Amino acid sequence: MREGDGNILLALFAVFAPLSLLSFGGSNAVLADIAQQSVAVHGWVSEREFADFFALSRAAPGPGSMLVALIGWKVAGLAGALVATASLYLPGAILVYGASRVWGRWRGSAWHSAVERGMAPIAAGLFLSGGIAVLRLAPAGPAVWAAALVTTVALLRWPKLHPLPLLALGAALFALIAAL
Amino acid sequence: MSEHPLEPIEADDAPAATATIGLWHIFGAFFWLGCTSFGGGSAAWLYREMVLKRRWIEDRTFLAAMALGQVMPGANGVKLTVLIGQHLRSGVGAAAALFGLLSGPFAIILMVGAVYAGVGQRPLLHAMLDGIAAVVVGLTFATGLGSVWRGSPGMLPVAMTAVTVLCVGILRWPLVPVVLVLAPVSIGLAFALPRR
Repeated sequence: MREGDGNILLALFAVFAPLSLLSFGGSNAVLADIAQQSVAVHGWVSEREFADFFALSRAAPGPGSMLVALIGWKVAGLAGALVATASLYLPGAILVYGASRVWGRWRGSAWHSAVERGMAPIAAGLFLSGGIAVLRLAPAGPAVWAAALVTTVALLRWPKLHPLPLLALGAALFALIAAL
Repeated sequence: MSEHPLEPIEADDAPAATATIGLWHIFGAFFWLGCTSFGGGSAAWLYREMVLKRRWIEDRTFLAAMALGQVMPGANGVKLTVLIGQHLRSGVGAAAALFGLLSGPFAIILMVGAVYAGVGQRPLLHAMLDGIAAVVVGLTFATGLGSVWRGSPGMLPVAMTAVTVLCVGILRWPLVPVVLVLAPVSIGLAFALPRR
C-alpha cells in the first residue's frame, strides 16, 4: 500500500456510500453522479478515462455502475476496487432488504394483492420506456432500431430462445457492417 | 439472521420447490446471471431467469417490486436481486444472491480493464457494443410486452402500461414522480376491479 491509501479508501467510501442511498431512478442517475464526483470534484480519473471506463462497463456483463470498481482500482488498487464497489452497493441493498421484509409481512392481505396487481402494468411500461431510452442514445440509429425490433419479435415468438447467442450474433453483425 | 424453515416462504403463494433451495444454489444462479447479463437491462435478464425459467418468484410479485423499487435508491438489478434472495431464504438468501450477482462482474471488469490498458479502444469495439445494445433493447421490449400479455386480463392494465410509456418513454418525464402519481391510480383501480 502506498502512503495515503487509507485516506483514499475513506474518501471512496465517503463519496460512493451516500450515492448508494441517493441514486433514485436506477443506473443512469448513479452514473451522472459518479462522473461528477470522480472527475470534477476529486480528480480520480480524467474525462477521457471515465468515458473509456463507461464503454468497458457496457461491454462487460453485470450492472453498468460496476465501473466504480475500475475507478477504485485506479486510485488504490484492489483494496480501492473492493471499497468502491461495496460502498456503492451495500448501503442501498440493506435498505431494500429492510423494506422487502416489512413488505413481505403483509402478504396475503387484500391491499397487498391490489398493490401487486396495480403496479405490474406500470412495471411493464417502465421496461418499454427503458428500451426506448437506450434507443434514443444509440449512435448507430436505424440499424440499432431494426435489430432491436427483430430481437423483440424473435423473443416473443420463441420465448425459450436464450439471448446469449443473439448477443453474439448482434455484436458480430454490427462489427461486420462497420468493417465493410 | 434466523433461518426458520417456514418463515421466508409463503406456501400458498410461492412454488413449493423454493423451500428446498440451498444457499449455494442461489449464489450459483445469481453468479451465472451476473456473468452473462451483458449490455445492462439487468431487470429484463432477472425476469427471464428467475420468473420465467426458474419460477423462484411470482410474475406479479417481481413486477410490483420493480415498479415500487423505483422510489428506492439503487440499481434495479441489485434491488431485485436482494428482493428475490430475501423471498427465497431471508437474510442469508439476500446476501448469497447479492454476492453471487456482483462477484463475477467485479472480477471480469477488472480483467477487462487490465486488458484494455494494454490494447486501447477500437472502432470495432464500439460497433460490437451497438449490436449488443440493440439485442438487449429487444430483450427489454419482449419482457415488457410479454408481461402485459401474460398478466393482464383487461384493457385497463394495458392502458396503464400505455400511459407509463407515454409519460416516461416518449415525453421523458422524470420517473419517480410519474410512478408516484400513477401508482395510487392503478392500485385503486385494482382494488375496485374483481379479482381474477
